[in-house]
Amino acid sequence: MHGVAAAQASLPSHTGLWRPKALSLVALVVALLIVMPLAYVVGNAVLVSGDVWVQLWRARVPELLFNTLRLAAGVAALTLAAGVGLAWLVVRYDFPGRGVWIWLLAAPLGIPPYIMAYVYTELFAYWGPLRPLVQGVLGPDAQLPALYDSFPGAVLILSFATYPYVYLLSRAAFLRTNVAFEEAARLSGAGRWRTWLRVVLPMQRPAVAAGLFLVCLYVMADFGAVSILRYSTFTRAVYVQMTGRYDLMGAAALSLMLVVLSLAFFAAERHFRRRSRFFQTTAGYRPGSPVALTRWHAALACCACAAVFGLAFGVPVAYLGVEAAAHVSQGALDGAFWGYARNSFLGAAAAATVAVACAVPLAYVALRRPSRGHSLLLHAAYAGYVLPGPIVALGLIFCTAHLMSPVYGTVAVVVLAYVVRFFPQCLQAGEAALHQITPSLEEAGRSAGVPLWRVLWRVTLPLMRPGLITGWVLVFVNAMKELPATLLLRPVGFDTLAVRIWIETSEEFYAQAAPAALLLILVTLPLLAFALSYGSTQRSTA
Amino acid sequence: MTPVLSLQAIGKTFEPGVPVLQDVTLGIEPGALVCLLGPSGCGKTTLLRLVAGFEEPDVGEIHLGAELVSRRGHVVAPEKRQIGMVFQDYALFPHMTVAQNIVFGLFRRPAAHRHRRLADLLQLVGLEDMAERYPHELSGGQQQRVALARALAPGPQLLLLDEPFSNLDVNLRRQLRQEMQEVLRQTDMTTILVTHDQEEALSLADTLAILDQGRLVQVDTPEAIVQRPSTRFVAAFLALGHFLPGEIRDRCIVTEMGSVRLDSGMPATPDDCRDVDLLIPPECLTLCGNGHGTRALVTHITFHGTRKLYTVRLPSGAHLQGLCAHDVPLQTGTQVNVRYEPTVLITFPSEG
Repeated sequence: MHGVAAAQASLPSHTGLWRPKALSLVALVVALLIVMPLAYVVGNAVLVSGDVWVQLWRARVPELLFNTLRLAAGVAALTLAAGVGLAWLVVRYDFPGRGVWIWLLAAPLGIPPYIMAYVYTELFAYWGPLRPLVQGVLGPDAQLPALYDSFPGAVLILSFATYPYVYLLSRAAFLRTNVAFEEAARLSGAGRWRTWLRVVLPMQRPAVAAGLFLVCLYVMADFGAVSILRYSTFTRAVYVQMTGRYDLMGAAALSLMLVVLSLAFFAAERHFRRRSRFFQTTAGYRPGSPVALTRWHAALACCACAAVFGLAFGVPVAYLGVEAAAHVSQGALDGAFWGYARNSFLGAAAAATVAVACAVPLAYVALRRPSRGHSLLLHAAYAGYVLPGPIVALGLIFCTAHLMSPVYGTVAVVVLAYVVRFFPQCLQAGEAALHQITPSLEEAGRSAGVPLWRVLWRVTLPLMRPGLITGWVLVFVNAMKELPATLLLRPVGFDTLAVRIWIETSEEFYAQAAPAALLLILVTLPLLAFALSYGSTQRSTA
Repeated sequence: MTPVLSLQAIGKTFEPGVPVLQDVTLGIEPGALVCLLGPSGCGKTTLLRLVAGFEEPDVGEIHLGAELVSRRGHVVAPEKRQIGMVFQDYALFPHMTVAQNIVFGLFRRPAAHRHRRLADLLQLVGLEDMAERYPHELSGGQQQRVALARALAPGPQLLLLDEPFSNLDVNLRRQLRQEMQEVLRQTDMTTILVTHDQEEALSLADTLAILDQGRLVQVDTPEAIVQRPSTRFVAAFLALGHFLPGEIRDRCIVTEMGSVRLDSGMPATPDDCRDVDLLIPPECLTLCGNGHGTRALVTHITFHGTRKLYTVRLPSGAHLQGLCAHDVPLQTGTQVNVRYEPTVLITFPSEG
C-alpha cells in the first residue's frame, strides 16, 4: 500500500487521553460561569441577618407567596384548558382553515407578556378606545373593569402569552399518539368521552405536565407584565427591592425564596414525569385521521380558534399597527430608534453565539463521557431555568463587584446575563442534536487515524448544526425580548427596544413604544416559526 | 515472526463483580483472519473496543507490533494506532459522499495521493460509479463496502470488523462474505472479526477464538475446533451434536446405547471423572433395522439441505439428532432403531 510505511514512521506515538480532559475543563469553566450568579445570590442571602429575614417574612413574604402561587395556578388552569383543548381540536377534527389555524394559534408566542400587558392597559385605560365603545353599547354609566392590580386581569394577560407552550407540546403529543390505543378502547366498549378521559388524556400527561411546568416557571419569572399591571409577585418584589429601596441584601433574601420555589416546581415536574413515563409502541404506529366537522360544529370550532387568536394576537398587533402608523408619520423612527434596534440586535446575537459556543463542549462531555462530575456540570448549567431576570442581574452585580470589576457596567455584563438566563434552551437543543448522532461515527473517524478535534469539527459539529441553529435562534429571540436584566445591568446609553418600551410605558409617553413593540414582534415571530419548523423537519428526516 | 497484535492477560470490568473479560491472552500473526466467536454478552465487542483504544483495560497489556498501546493508565489514542474498523452500523458519515467518507482519514496526505488511493479503493470494493453518492442512497451491502474501504484507506496494520454482516439479510450475507474475503486476501490484511454467527466464523476464519463469559476457551483453526472442541460449551455453541450421558467403567464408556471402548489418545477426561457426556454428531447416528440398536421415538424432522435431520428421544429422555437421506420414510411419533457409530470419541465431564 502506497505511502503507508512513510506515514507510519512519521506518526508520533502519544498517550492520548489528555484531549477529553481539556474538554472537561472547558465544560467546567462554562458551568461555573453559568452558576456563578446563582451562587452569589445564595451566598449573600445566607449572610443576611436574621432580623431582616424576620422583617421580610412578616411584612412581605406571605402576600408575595400567595400572589405568586395564585397567579401561577390561575394561568396554569387557563392555559391547560385552552392549550389542550385547541390542540385536540386541530389534531383530530377537520374544519375550514384548519391548516392555517394550526400555526396561527402558536403565534402569540411571539408577543412578550409585557407588550401584551402594555397593549391591554392602553385599551382599557380611561382615555383608551374601548371606553367610548362600551359606553355606546351599554349606556354612559358603564365602566370598564380595572386591569391594574387585578388578579383576573393578570391571569388573562399572562395566559394569552403562555398558552402556546401547552398548545404546542400537547399537539406534538397528540400527533405521536398511536390511534390503535383509542380503537382498542372503543372496541372494549368505552364510549367516546370515556376513551378520551381514560385513555387519550392520561397518555398526554408527560407532555402536558412539561407544558404546564414551562408556563409556571414563565409566570414566576415574569417581570414586565406584572409590573405594568402593578401586580406584586416575587420577581417584581426583587426588582423593587433593588431599585426602589436600594436594598441588595433584602433582594438577595427574596431571590433565594423565589429560587427555592422554582426548584420545588422543578423537582415536582421531574418526579411527575418519571412516574408517568409511557412507552408508545412504534411498530404499526398510525396517527389518527381528523374527523370532518359538520356545518355548525365547524363554525363553532372556527369561532373558538378565532376568539383565542384574536384576543392573544390579533387585537394586540392591530392596536400596535394603528398606534405605530400614527407615531411613525410623526417621525418616531429617528436615529435614536434605530440605535435601540441595533443594540437589541447586537446584544442578542452576541449572547446567542456565546451560548452556542458554550453549550457544545458541555453537551459533549455530558453525553459522550458520562460520569457523575459531568452530569453534575450539565445539571448546574440548567440553573437559568430557575433564575428570573432580576435575580440574574442581582447575581451579576454581586459577582462583577467582587471578581470582574473591569466589566462592571459594560455591555459584556448584559450579554452574560442573557447567556446565563437562556442557556438552558440552547443546551437542550444541543443535547438533543448530539443525542441523535451515534457515537460510532466519532469512533469511526478516530480509528481512521483522525484526531478527536478534527473529527468533532468535520463530523460531529456539522451533524449537530440543525440543533445548534435552533438553539441560537431561541437564545437570540429571548435575548431580544429580555427586559429586567437589561434594565438593571445596561451601561448608560445602551437602551434596547425592550427597554424603550418599558421606559415609555412607565412614563406614559408612548411615541416610540408601539413602533418598538411592533418591530420586536416582526423580527422575533418569523425566527420562532423557523426554529419550531426547522427543528421538527430536521428531526423527522434524521 | 512478531505478532501484529498481542493481548496479555487482559481483564475488564464495568460493573463491580461482573467481569466482562478475564485473563484473555491472544497473539495474532501477520495476515491472519481471526474470528472472535461467542454468544451475545460474552465480551467479544468489549475486546474489540479495547484493541481499538476506545476502552482502557483494568489489567493486562496490549501490544501492537513491538509497541505497548494499552495498559491501565496508559492508552494510546485510537487515531494513533493505525487500526481500521468497520462498525456494526457501518457509521458512515451521513453528510459526506462516498468519496469524502473514504478519504476521511487521509487528510494529512497530499491531494494526489488521496485521489490515487480513492480510485484504488473504489475499484477494490467495486463502487467506482458511486463516489458522489451519499450513504442514504446506497443499499446495505454497498454501505458495508464503503465502510470497509474507509477503514482500509489509511493503510492500517490491523483491521477490526464488528459483526459486519449482522445488518444484512441472509442471502446477501453469503455473497458479501465471499466478496470481503476476496478483498482481505488481495490486501493481505491482518483482521479480527467479531461475530456470534458460527457459520460465518467457520467459513471465514483462519483462526477461531471462542469466548465464553469473558474467557477465551479455545483458540485454534476451525478444523481443529470442530474435531476437538475443548469444552462442552464450545461443542454446544458450534452445534456439533447432542450429548449422551455415560459412565466410564473398565476403559469403556457405558451408555444406554451400548458401550464404547476408550482407545489410547482419546481426549482427556479427568481420571477421577466417572460420569461423562459423550458428544454424538448427527453424522454418527444411523438408523438400523429391528432387533438392532436402541428403540427411540422420532420427535421432530426438518430438512437440512438435501438430507433429513431428525430428532429422537431415547427411553432415558435424552435427545439426539441424526441425518439420513431425504427419501427415507420417517414420521414423527413413530418408533425407530438407532445406532451410534463413532469416528472420534469426544467426551466432557458430566454436568449433572
